Amino acid sequence: METRQRRIGRWLRALGACLFAGLLAAVPAPDAGAEYGDVVINNYSDAAGMRPVVFPHWFHRVRYACKVCHADLGFKFKAGGNEINMLKIIDGQYCGACHNGEIAWAIENCNLCHSAKPRTPTMVHESTTQGLAAQGRPAPSAARAAAKGQP
Amino acid sequence: MNARALVLLLLAAAAVPVASGAEPGSGKAVYDSACAACHNSGAAGAPKLGDAAAWQARFASGIGALYRSAVSGKGSMPAKGGQARLTAAEVEAAVNYMVLAADANAKVPVVAARGDGKAAAAAAAPAQAAPAAATGPGGATAAATAQQDAGAGVYARACAACHTSGVAGAPKLGDATAWAPKLKAGLATLQSNAIRGKGAMPPKGGNAALPDADVRAAVAYMVDRAAGARTAAATGTAPSPAAVTAGAAAPAAPAAATPPVPATAVAPTPVAAAPSRAADASPNAFNRLLRSATRRNPPPHEDGIHDPAIEEVYMLQPPLTGLAGLPTSAAGNRIDWVKALNQGKITPRFDRLDPQVQAAVMDLNIVREVKGSMPDVVYPHKQHTQWLDCSNCHPAIFKPQKGANPMSMAAIMLGEQCGVCHGKVAFPVSECRLCHSKNKVAGATATAPR
Repeated sequence: METRQRRIGRWLRALGACLFAGLLAAVPAPDAGAEYGDVVINNYSDAAGMRPVVFPHWFHRVRYACKVCHADLGFKFKAGGNEINMLKIIDGQYCGACHNGEIAWAIENCNLCHSAKPRTPTMVHESTTQGLAAQGRPAPSAARAAAKGQP
Repeated sequence: MNARALVLLLLAAAAVPVASGAEPGSGKAVYDSACAACHNSGAAGAPKLGDAAAWQARFASGIGALYRSAVSGKGSMPAKGGQARLTAAEVEAAVNYMVLAADANAKVPVVAARGDGKAAAAAAAPAQAAPAAATGPGGATAAATAQQDAGAGVYARACAACHTSGVAGAPKLGDATAWAPKLKAGLATLQSNAIRGKGAMPPKGGNAALPDADVRAAVAYMVDRAAGARTAAATGTAPSPAAVTAGAAAPAAPAAATPPVPATAVAPTPVAAAPSRAADASPNAFNRLLRSATRRNPPPHEDGIHDPAIEEVYMLQPPLTGLAGLPTSAAGNRIDWVKALNQGKITPRFDRLDPQVQAAVMDLNIVREVKGSMPDVVYPHKQHTQWLDCSNCHPAIFKPQKGANPMSMAAIMLGEQCGVCHGKVAFPVSECRLCHSKNKVAGATATAPR
């Protein structure tokens, strides 16, 4: 009789553990749901008290071939890899080559670009590497640098 | 004091008609995008544009009352004409436009001063806010797209004003729950209802000039979208409670937001979106990684990275609007960009300033034999040089010499080699067969005579 009660108790405890594990699994994964290719750029924005910038690739590639920005304007293929600041933009470099009030709307519309939620990190959203970064793995270049650093 | 006020009033009254002519944020532009659907045809008792008699009765209560009704809603007039993204100043500018159209001598001093800043901001943002008005290649592209894809185009022109936001009980685009009872009637019935009008739905959506065929195409487009959302929902995700909450919350929100305070108008949206996220994250969902059709290409304020608390986020073009009518694919933006380019649905400029500059296309396929049973890779220079310059890839990413670039899928998935673009903006690595397209021995023996 007593052993049977103990067995039921153990079974109930196991059931409880399972339910707890199920609850843990149900915690939603960080899921931005951004449009494929949306780039958040937060090199200086947060520190300066501005919202980070969202660059929508899809909107721009309808209107311009990749080459215009990535060859002619010198944008590197790296989120956050271009040292863009507002001074350069005002001088007509990077975004400022078009966002000058002639080709596209001018920089007075701060929040049209600076529109991300505060503290959103720099990254290409919905990219294959985003899935890895979410699991805390270092980016390949960082991993290689670390490996090189070790004797 | 009095005389000064009168002078100001006259100045403002003189300024308004001049200003309302051209710019995209003007009263006319707002009217065209938000009010015309009902006020052109007089749907649901709306006083028609330029109908002096109908408007005269409303002047009695004063311009202030007209503004209040337009911003907060009154009777069958939804708050802000059902477009919660509009600022109060924009709505008031549209009222001014309508009042002036009804009576050129009406005193509409008004908000010219108060609304100027916001109206100007709206006017200065044409590229993302209003593609049709955009200068440069964008505008032409949008127009061409609309013509080619009749249903989506007609929807955007004639139906979107109500069916995007759910004004006056209109079933929202892609809202499977709202469309389900209507789909039972069958496509033909829905199309004839749309042409003849039913309930709050005016004939042809209030656009009497629309050919019947266009209305049918638009209905077919909406039904298609609703059916797509429903099949996705049937696979295990449950957007219905979210949709219901959103539907209930949407009309309430703008009503509460009489002054132009974006935060209050905005708040319900993320709350309403939350249950759908939670449902998708359930461990018993069909596939938590596979995004249901209703959650693809979300509008900026729902995409999780834009801050829904700021007004400008609502001025950005939603992907579904910007990408409407383009050929679709199974991954990425869900757009087949190469096909879109080759079919002429988009005409991206190859030079920042000169629309005449053409890409220097190089038609050279490079075949790479790969390990194991995977089909060999055929790399087409053609589709790449349509978008890119040689210097984008050579020599930094790929040495321009056959065999000089050892490659691996692992590196590609980590964002190197092909992965510099594929998996970020170009189609992702899930589309194996788009690159691994040349079958090996198996394919050869299958075609060889026995």
